[in-house]
Amino acid sequence: MDALLSVRDLAVHYRTAAGPVRAVDGASFDVPARSIVGLVGESGCGKSTLGRALMGVMPRSASIAAGSAVFEGRDLVTLSAAERRKLLWRRMAFVPQTAMNALDPVQRLGAQMMEVLVERGGLSRPEAGTRAAELFALVGLDSGRLRDWPHQFSGGMRQRASIALALALNPALLIADEPVTALDVIVQRQILDVMRELQARLGLAMILVTHDVAVVAYACDRVVVMYAGRVVESGPVRAVLEAPLHPYTMGLMNAFPDLERAGGELVPIEGAPPSLLNPPSGCRFAARCPFAVARCAEDPALVEQAPDHHVACWRAAEAPALRPLASEAATWAS
Amino acid sequence: MGQLIAANDLVKAFPASRRMADVLRGHRPVLRAVNGVSLAVGAGQALGIVGESGCGKTTTARLLLRLEEPTSGSVVFEGQDVTALRGAALLPFRSRVQLVFQNPFDALNPRFTIRRSLTEPLRNFGLPAQERHARILEAMARVRLDPPEAYLDRHPHELSGGQLQRVVLARALVTHPRAIIADEPVSMLDVSVRAGVLNVLRRARDELQLAAIYISHDLALIRYVCEEVAVMYLGRIVESGPTAEVIASAAHPYTRALVAAVPVPRVDQDRGDLPIRGGLPDQLNQPSGCAFRDRCPLAFARCTEEAPPLRAIAPGRHAACHLA
Ligand SMILES: Nc1ncnc2c1ncn2[C@@H]1O[C@H](COP(=O)(O)OP(=O)(O)O)[C@@H](O)[C@H]1O
Ligand SMILES: Nc1ncnc2c1ncn2[C@@H]1O[C@H](COP(=O)(O)OP(=O)(O)O)[C@@H](O)[C@H]1O
Ligand code: SF4
Ligand code: SF4
Ligand SMILES: [Mg+2]
Ligand SMILES: [Mg+2]
Repeated sequence: MDALLSVRDLAVHYRTAAGPVRAVDGASFDVPARSIVGLVGESGCGKSTLGRALMGVMPRSASIAAGSAVFEGRDLVTLSAAERRKLLWRRMAFVPQTAMNALDPVQRLGAQMMEVLVERGGLSRPEAGTRAAELFALVGLDSGRLRDWPHQFSGGMRQRASIALALALNPALLIADEPVTALDVIVQRQILDVMRELQARLGLAMILVTHDVAVVAYACDRVVVMYAGRVVESGPVRAVLEAPLHPYTMGLMNAFPDLERAGGELVPIEGAPPSLLNPPSGCRFAARCPFAVARCAEDPALVEQAPDHHVACWRAAEAPALRPLASEAATWAS
Repeated sequence: MGQLIAANDLVKAFPASRRMADVLRGHRPVLRAVNGVSLAVGAGQALGIVGESGCGKTTTARLLLRLEEPTSGSVVFEGQDVTALRGAALLPFRSRVQLVFQNPFDALNPRFTIRRSLTEPLRNFGLPAQERHARILEAMARVRLDPPEAYLDRHPHELSGGQLQRVVLARALVTHPRAIIADEPVSMLDVSVRAGVLNVLRRARDELQLAAIYISHDLALIRYVCEEVAVMYLGRIVESGPTAEVIASAAHPYTRALVAAVPVPRVDQDRGDLPIRGGLPDQLNQPSGCAFRDRCPLAFARCTEEAPPLRAIAPGRHAACHLA
């Protein structure tokens, strides 16, 4: 497969007074050209850190400690800051976790768009005006609203505007961090439809960061499941969601309230991800895993268990037998 | 079944003058965030209120909690009209009808220990210390914070979102309320821990025979905790009935759109367009006739002229649509 982005053993640490926080601790996955990859996991698993590290927009306390991220043939980790900046907007663009963060509250939307198009893209003002209207139309916004201020927009419209802004200079890769998390179900669906349509029309690749497996099922071609700074499972959406190999992925699927599944108790994953200041040794999911055995005290490597389907679990070969157990609440009760 | 808490034809109009010129001309537009809402919930029952953001769900909750003065209409609790109660006269009502906040990360004072947060609501109860402690342990057991000693002396930042939301629920339970109102109680939580909080909410409701009102934009969540549901659009209830029936055979086109939009974690699913157009209209310029008509795929001539009243369409079910 022709990967647009190839991440290998990437580690990103935050310096803190208490020591390094290993927010991403050896992540490996591919983003094929023209595909939407869902990066899924609970809060605190390192998804935003990973997205920001790939984008090169990290806080000062963060640094890439190891690994590589080859994008269009060049390793982002070893590029100079200046070369990095050249890629930003033009080849890869970012929609941050809250749409409001992407937009400047004291500037009209049109002016923000013009700034990117003229100053970064080198377009003339008339060209930029036409392009701004085009971009708004692309995400389903009326170009008349380029004169509006961000606060005049609803949550869904703001998210559309920040996607339009990210697309201004035709990037090949868009990283969107929780683009629908704070939105209600109708707006969620409309935004995901916009993203799918953009991907199809413009041939973009996207990384869609989310804690919601339904978002992955609806919008993504591939999925990367993260737990405690590591990739624990990855592959095509159908393979991973329909026949998960990792107990964490099984848990994420079973915790989902399903409109069609009859009443009964929901199946939560008890507990929470560990602190990444001193991550536990061995399998990081062991403390919450109902299937943990003695061997799980050692670290399972991410292996290709089936063609194009990777997993890091000692009991992956037993997954077909574990899946029915994982769908019962009693299995997870601590 | 007796009605523990009820709303009768509640209206809340907020002043919505955006232009100075309007104000100077004495023209004061109002935004009817809640526009004639009636509902009732009995002990041991749970009612869900569902709708997009901006439909008036939170304002309805605040009116029921007497945190907001209604423009008209009344709130009845245990058979008593509490609409006119003010100040000290409201205190017994306040401890009997509790709110569960949406955002557990904001709901607790970050400087307080969990013990102090749970003690605070009991301050004016004049209970001996031993009794207070017993109440706290009882509430913590109810929400499955086990063992309590593992949490009592910790601060909010030491707990996960799911644990915090259980503390918030325990705090609502220490006063022995008869009713709880939860506004989007799990929307800030990871999907993986929502299930645990919803299970705890449902068990508390059953064990204590609480009247419960849950607000959400997601019918799948409502379905797990509420036997009855009311669908709100622009300040009005447009459909109500048993949740399972409303989901299986929605009578109002807006409800059908909400059902179609429910996220499901399945790879093979209908990705067709939702049967709804655009977003909420400007609240100050609502369409004539049926307020939903500019987004409705079934709108016809009559919908422009005549507003459909909420009427009975089957036993226990109501809808406000000319076609229902
Ligand atoms: N600026 C920071 N300094 C120190 N630790 C951080 C910082 N930002 C995030 N972290 C920690 O890194 C881990 C991963 O966080 P994040 O990437 O935000 O995860 P996610 O997006 O999956 O919720 C968490 O344990 C979080 O507490
Ligand atoms: N204090 C207020 N002043 C003016 N308008 C308000 C106020 N509170 C809510 N509104 C408006 O009332 C409408 C309904 O809001 P809300 O009850 O919060 O809806 P929901 O909870 O369904 O999102 C919205 O248009 C909102 O802007
Ligand atoms: S390696 Fe062991 S503890 Fe980790 S997920 Fe697999 S079975 Fe569970
Ligand atoms: S009354 Fe008319 S516009 Fe309103 S919901 Fe029914 S069909 Fe649609
Ligand atoms: Mg994040
Ligand atoms: Mg609300």
